[in-house]
Amino acid sequence: MEDKNQKKGKPIKRRDFLKGFGGGAMGAAVAPKFLVQEKKTISTKEGNIPVYSKKKISLIVNGKKHTLSVKPRDTLLDVLREKLNLTGPKRICNHGECGGCTVLLDAQPVYSCMFLAVRADGQKITTVEGLAKGGNLHSIQKAFIEKDGYQCGFCTSGFIMSSLALLQRNKKPNLEEIKQAFSGNLCRCGNYFKIYDAVSEAAKKMRGA
Amino acid sequence: MNEFKLAQPQSVGQATSFLSQKPKGCHIMAGGTDLLGEMKNGIIDAEVVVDLKSLPELSFIKREQNKVRVGALTPVSELAENSFIQNEYSVLYEAALSLATPQLRNVGTVGGNLCQRPRCWYYRDSQILCLKKGGHKCFAFNGRNKYHAILGGGPCFIVYPSDLAPALISLGAEVIIASSKKEKKIPLEEFYVLPKENLLQENILQPGEMLKEIQFPLKGSGEKSTYHKLKERGTWDFALVSAAVNAQITNQSFKEIRIILGGVAPIPWRAKKAESVIKGNRITQSLLQQAAQEELRDAVPLTDNAYKTKLVQSIMSQAALSLVKT
Amino acid sequence: MAEKKFNKKKESSPLSYHEEYRDKKTPQPQKTPSPEKERFTLISGYTPRIDGERIVTGKAPFTHDINLRGLLYGKILRSPHACAQIISMDLTKAKNLPGVKAVLQLKKEKVQYVGEQVAAVAAVNEFIAEKALKMIEVEYKTLPFVVTEEEAMKKDSPRVHENSNVQKFSDYSRGDVEKGYQEAHAVLEKTFKTEIEIHHPTETHGSVAKWEGDRLVVWDSTQAIHNVRNGLAKALNIPQSQVKVIKKYMGGGFGSKLGLNDYTMAAAKLAKITHNPVKIILSRKENSLTVGNRPSSIQTLKGGVKKDGTITSLSLINYTSGGIGRGDRCSEPMIDIYRCPHIKVNEYTVYTHTGPSRPTRAPGHVQGTFALESFLDELAAEIDMDPLELRKKNYTTKNEGGTGIPYSSKGLDQCYQIGAQKIGWHRRNKIPGQSNGRFRKGIGMGTQIWWGVGRPETLADVMLHPDGSVEAICGTQDLGTGTRTYMAVIPADTLGLKPQDITVKIGNTSYPWCGASGGSTTTPSVAPAIRDAAVKARDYLKKMAAEKLEIDSKNIGVADRKFFNQNNPNQSITFKELTEDLSREKVFHGEYVGRPSGYAYNTFGAHFAEVEVDTQTGKIKVIKVIAVHEIGRVMNKQTAESQVVGGITQGVSTALFEGRVMDPSIGTVLNPNLIDYKLATSYDSPEIEIHFVDIVDPRINNLGTKGLGEPPRIPIAAAISNAVYNAVGIHVKETPMTPDKVLQTLKEKEA
Repeated sequence: MEDKNQKKGKPIKRRDFLKGFGGGAMGAAVAPKFLVQEKKTISTKEGNIPVYSKKKISLIVNGKKHTLSVKPRDTLLDVLREKLNLTGPKRICNHGECGGCTVLLDAQPVYSCMFLAVRADGQKITTVEGLAKGGNLHSIQKAFIEKDGYQCGFCTSGFIMSSLALLQRNKKPNLEEIKQAFSGNLCRCGNYFKIYDAVSEAAKKMRGA
Repeated sequence: MNEFKLAQPQSVGQATSFLSQKPKGCHIMAGGTDLLGEMKNGIIDAEVVVDLKSLPELSFIKREQNKVRVGALTPVSELAENSFIQNEYSVLYEAALSLATPQLRNVGTVGGNLCQRPRCWYYRDSQILCLKKGGHKCFAFNGRNKYHAILGGGPCFIVYPSDLAPALISLGAEVIIASSKKEKKIPLEEFYVLPKENLLQENILQPGEMLKEIQFPLKGSGEKSTYHKLKERGTWDFALVSAAVNAQITNQSFKEIRIILGGVAPIPWRAKKAESVIKGNRITQSLLQQAAQEELRDAVPLTDNAYKTKLVQSIMSQAALSLVKT
Repeated sequence: MAEKKFNKKKESSPLSYHEEYRDKKTPQPQKTPSPEKERFTLISGYTPRIDGERIVTGKAPFTHDINLRGLLYGKILRSPHACAQIISMDLTKAKNLPGVKAVLQLKKEKVQYVGEQVAAVAAVNEFIAEKALKMIEVEYKTLPFVVTEEEAMKKDSPRVHENSNVQKFSDYSRGDVEKGYQEAHAVLEKTFKTEIEIHHPTETHGSVAKWEGDRLVVWDSTQAIHNVRNGLAKALNIPQSQVKVIKKYMGGGFGSKLGLNDYTMAAAKLAKITHNPVKIILSRKENSLTVGNRPSSIQTLKGGVKKDGTITSLSLINYTSGGIGRGDRCSEPMIDIYRCPHIKVNEYTVYTHTGPSRPTRAPGHVQGTFALESFLDELAAEIDMDPLELRKKNYTTKNEGGTGIPYSSKGLDQCYQIGAQKIGWHRRNKIPGQSNGRFRKGIGMGTQIWWGVGRPETLADVMLHPDGSVEAICGTQDLGTGTRTYMAVIPADTLGLKPQDITVKIGNTSYPWCGASGGSTTTPSVAPAIRDAAVKARDYLKKMAAEKLEIDSKNIGVADRKFFNQNNPNQSITFKELTEDLSREKVFHGEYVGRPSGYAYNTFGAHFAEVEVDTQTGKIKVIKVIAVHEIGRVMNKQTAESQVVGGITQGVSTALFEGRVMDPSIGTVLNPNLIDYKLATSYDSPEIEIHFVDIVDPRINNLGTKGLGEPPRIPIAAAISNAVYNAVGIHVKETPMTPDKVLQTLKEKEA
């Protein structure tokens, strides 16, 4: 999989690049200086417009800056999972119909499967991996464990990110507000009723009550 | 999803100049939540996508002397969270909050919502070549059409899925369409077209044009509005039937009223017949029933969707009466 | 080889518990202390999931997350036709696409449904694999097809298999139904329908296959690692000893992941050809089309009842369709729950050209209970009787409606009593539909029976290390319900430790044998086996402690990580001090060997629901559900409650939203996604109150515990259906009860 030419900084053919990145497992290891950008410029009477086939972007993921090269079609979800090796955001429907890939984009919850990575250039992204600090779980995470706010756990990252978005804006949400905050997350195991409890408990913990 | 190129213009002028060159396979991406779905489903095969996200100049909600201006790129969530909108335009606030999910409202834009494509399950299946995709047959007509049109349908029977469109039309909104030539301003109501006028698209946008801004007048005195939406499940559902009502109420009667129905027709359906029954008369349950029946006189239900007529009757009076009560 | 035969039989026929009771070869019972006398500190309590931290940090490795060096991505080409002959297939262009490592033809002759797999590709990334699929040229000759039950039942409709589309698969009779009808005061006949549902586990199906020489390692999203291992060995003609299947975490299965899948075989073959590991993860659309569904049903029930509420006769004719696969047996609740001397059942599969059925959480019982329990309320109304009284009147303590063998334990009477009290049964409309107005409230209930026994010969180990660490090991798999946690709770309780002291190892075919996780069998299989091992470990340590403390081992107690003298608790030795004397790790083998024959072992429960019906829009809102279950001793209430909550939410979803939609002329599924196929959302979950009846089964196993997976999924749709009936005076006899059907039903009532 690894292409030796890349290490020596030789010009990279398109295919080699595909190999280097496509494998996923190795993607993150490539150093930024070898990142390429494929760009054409179209001139219009209002000036030149860049048209990208591949763009160098930077993402600040859980506080850490990553510079990488993406194709326009790469979704934020696929970049997080395949290139940055994060397993928190899940690909459940891949069509913005379930919420399993929810991440915060500058503090706002979004479906990373319906967001092109190239459009997140320069933005701060928080995934569930970014919640625990120094080995200490976030209050929301503790509350989900205490109240059994999950079952199989596959949708849980998404629910936790929606909880975080809610509780950052609303310190004491009522049941209606909790349901509204989760209206974009499906739990097929059907544990909503327990998840409400978990969020109320998390709010309590975060208020220091 | 197939590969495509991404054009990132830096101004509306650049965007429209680019669009005026009519590049092959070119699609405009605002929030992208609908467009990406179509691309992933393989219903459209984009070669170039024009990314409007880099145009922050199109994201705003401004109150001016006699109107409100909303940029086409304004995320729906900003509309729903804007306290001025919440206080003055219940219909818009309620419609915004009723649509999709928090995650989609954060990304999806007002302009994108007004330009979204139909949710018809035949249309959304890339392997089915229906009328809307240049085929020769509407499969819903004799197929499974529970969610399809009862008014204004034919030869294609989609319903227009936007929640914001009925709300904005009830407010008398106009849209500004930009192109490399001159901008034009038209009532939002005239933005949409029936399938019998144009099968392939739901609005009048020409190649090279883009929706830039929405404007609507300041709320008049005595004006009240609301948006009611019936869904199968509790949330995250398109409307079975919805009703946006904006009215001026004096002495227990509607001096002025606009009723726009969603989920019943290929366009946001202005219930003009119902409006004329209601206008100027004393508000009673039976008047509203009569109005709904008048509007439904033209309804042509398909095999599975006659229940929608009942829903229209219910939601129309429910929405109108709620304005009197509050 | 008796063992193998036994397991095979159970695995292949998980749908009927009657068969087991008729099987005289039930293994000899193990000699265990009477479980009802045991006292526990952790068991039956509230222990948070021991794997909670891994889940909430996103670190729990699901099959989707498996990433290996050199991994290739596999994709499957699927049939666009409901029925077609494959004339030719040309793989050349796909093979020549740069980045493609292998292309494989999987199907040679006929395809029978939209979505059936035809060919597979392995490439360096998903995009190239998808592009390659489009380059495979397949020439089909399309053939006539039929995708709806109604059409398939017609005589001249295209045949799905060689024989007629309608095939009887189940009949049952006892007594003489005609005689029963003659004795009845009232005889009713009603037809109920249920729609095909899709499992839609959040984690779509998928596998990663890797060859290490001749040895195959597969990470699979499965409910049955051993089934997958055995299936792969057989299909690839390699020894079972050369196949290892691993499943660490799984995002739900609900019955759709019980065996070897064709895409897993494709991954293994592609990995073999390419010498690289291959990962195939199905898309949501593929999950909708091809990996199972809950069969539909058209159930016509007939019943006779005397004025005093005695049920004299019941009969059922069921037409059930699971695509090219078998329909579901929906008659088990009818045969068992109520005392009834005369019963006649005929069930027919109706084959269609759609994806094959698979067991779906409580197969047959969800559909059968919806119909039976709804029907019972109509019978009650016919004789002006409280529907709960009707059920009590026909209560039985023996199976097969009082004609069979005694239940080892049955707490259904208590479920009725607790449920009625908690919901406020007296608040219901005394006459169904007697209330007025636009919004009408109603209260209804439904009864549940399911099996919930363990699989004999399930193995588990407890391993003590000299440093005091403890492992609990079993080749089971956690469906996502909390298996790991009670596997820690049981040895911790037995050895006087804390759950966090136990390292649990599951999800690997190298571990001691355990069957599939399905049919509510996991807890009553694994829990007694692990308990058996833990007791052996405890007794061994007790002996060591007795020597050290110089007392009789009978007087040794265990608690707080100590072994102590029960007569003088100050005299003690810590667990760690004890294990230090072990020269090496010591393994204690546990087994669940079976239960005495001559008894029926079942779980029971009742759900009570309150609903509100908007008679103008046909929208039903479930306000509150009281769930009462008798499952013997509960292992961990924390996770058990979640399973009940989940069963209720899924049942609400069945009752109100879910149904696969087929286009009859194109032959394809119109809602193969999560927006048009509607699952219950955060707004659809009712208020829920859960109770477990305090009963310990005296014989079933050493802990007196039964399974819980299926039970809470079963009675909820019926409870909702009856609550709607109570509110508006007519049953919506078809799921999902969507506004169009509710309005139609109300219109029929007016007419």
